[in-house]
Amino acid sequence: MNRTSLRVMSPSVFLLFILLAGCGGDPTPGGGAPAPLSATPKIAVIVSTLNNPWFVVLADTAKEHAGRLGYDVTVFDSQNDPAKEAAQFENVIASGYAAVLFNPTDADGSIANVRRAKEAGIPVFCMDREINATDAAVSQILSDNYSGCVALGQYFVKQVGESGKYVELLGLVGDNNTWNRSKGFHSVVDRYPELKMVAQQSADFDRAKALEVMEAVLQANPDIDAVFCGNDAMAMGAYQALVASGKDKRVKVFGFDGSEDVVKLIAEGKIVATGMQFPKLMARTAAESADKYLKGDRDFPQKTPVAVELVHQGNVGKYGDYGRKEAE
Amino acid sequence: MTSGRRRLIICSTAMGSAAVLLYFMPLFHVVPLEVAGQRSVAATFDPVAFVDSFWTERLLPSADRAVDVATLVAAVREDRQAAKRAHGRSVGLGGVYYYFVAGTGRVVAVEKNSVGLAVLDGEQQVQVALETGNIFGNTLRDGTGLLDVNDIANSQDFNALSSEINGRIEREVLPSLRSMAVTGATIRFVGCAEIVDEDTDLQPLRIVPFIAETP
Repeated sequence: MNRTSLRVMSPSVFLLFILLAGCGGDPTPGGGAPAPLSATPKIAVIVSTLNNPWFVVLADTAKEHAGRLGYDVTVFDSQNDPAKEAAQFENVIASGYAAVLFNPTDADGSIANVRRAKEAGIPVFCMDREINATDAAVSQILSDNYSGCVALGQYFVKQVGESGKYVELLGLVGDNNTWNRSKGFHSVVDRYPELKMVAQQSADFDRAKALEVMEAVLQANPDIDAVFCGNDAMAMGAYQALVASGKDKRVKVFGFDGSEDVVKLIAEGKIVATGMQFPKLMARTAAESADKYLKGDRDFPQKTPVAVELVHQGNVGKYGDYGRKEAE
Repeated sequence: MTSGRRRLIICSTAMGSAAVLLYFMPLFHVVPLEVAGQRSVAATFDPVAFVDSFWTERLLPSADRAVDVATLVAAVREDRQAAKRAHGRSVGLGGVYYYFVAGTGRVVAVEKNSVGLAVLDGEQQVQVALETGNIFGNTLRDGTGLLDVNDIANSQDFNALSSEINGRIEREVLPSLRSMAVTGATIRFVGCAEIVDEDTDLQPLRIVPFIAETP
């Protein structure tokens, strides 16, 4: 090839590359060829984190139930990192999994992963956390966080009173659950102008971070009356900080999730209340939906809300082991 | 090396670098129209406009679908579970359910945040409490069966509908309800009740009204 031809062709190749780069950036939804199934079909459970007992219960229940339904199940931990989650999906797509039971890390950021799986013919069933698309996952089984935190907000006002100072610890800011919980809580509490929020900070749904954040918050605000935490792991971290500072008897702690350790502390009168989500129910429903889908059923509602129930000292006896005693 | 050849190498290297950069950060993305449309709808969702049209075009005309309150109260007294099966509405999974209810009652109690009505002939007991304080939660959004979580792109937008509906009730329904809440007065109402705990929420039924008037 002579130099003149190179001069003419190089910009053309470059232009073509720009076009192809744009087309490759965002996969389109649609049915691709189904992934080949092994003798025993495999199901992947991709969970946002295993560094929180609540999500361990979610993942373990999904694994156990899908196993009972006859699948080889592997659990993948995204460690709350969207990049790790994307790599887990690549792995799952390349390894011929039949379905994914999925707990996303990010309502927007996780959509592309679900679409990639869908393109590869792998159905995805979201558990607990939502993605902001209704045409990617087969179904989404979601806690009704907003309603749960409305009830929690009403109980907060009853217990703390209509005036006082409080702190809010938020979860992951990219997760819809964080904001649905916060907005449900504030839809009630903000109606009482004498209830002042003196600090609102994210602790990423993480117990250790909540401990650190709460210690810092207490330095600046030693006279708070209550703390509302977007999950129970953060409630445990906040409670730990309060114990360390000798304020645990005075400051009322509210969590959300219904984790075993918080339910136990509610029974002991150390934490005031939590919202009981039902991780086992959600995981079982997702596993059963995947099984039905793989057997040919296509009739699934895109979103199925799961009611959240308020747990406090007056009714804590009805709850335990991540659900209602008689129901789960 | 000639200067022409050097220029060619520099030019090729620059284009190669730009190509690598564009591979990782493309100038545009090609997406299907349905996805682009969904993003656009999600970005521009307006709960006020949605509730404006929902209220006049769907909610108010739906009043005649509500179960008669006297029928419901009698059915609940007889058999809670049969009443739930016949008249209740559940959303998703879990024990919470709703009644969409209408009727007329006599004011027998006026509290800070509710008006107590007797709806069965000859009884003085409060069988229905119409909420008159701050309205919270999703009782009206979910209780009528007119709105479905699957109709809205994401849950934050769906929850924004509750705030807007509740605000509209507080602004447009409750002031007149409070003014007619005098013991002995008769009030016609249409609204929804949320049942979380059957031991406390069925007697009285606590109703969030969207219509309250003197018959």
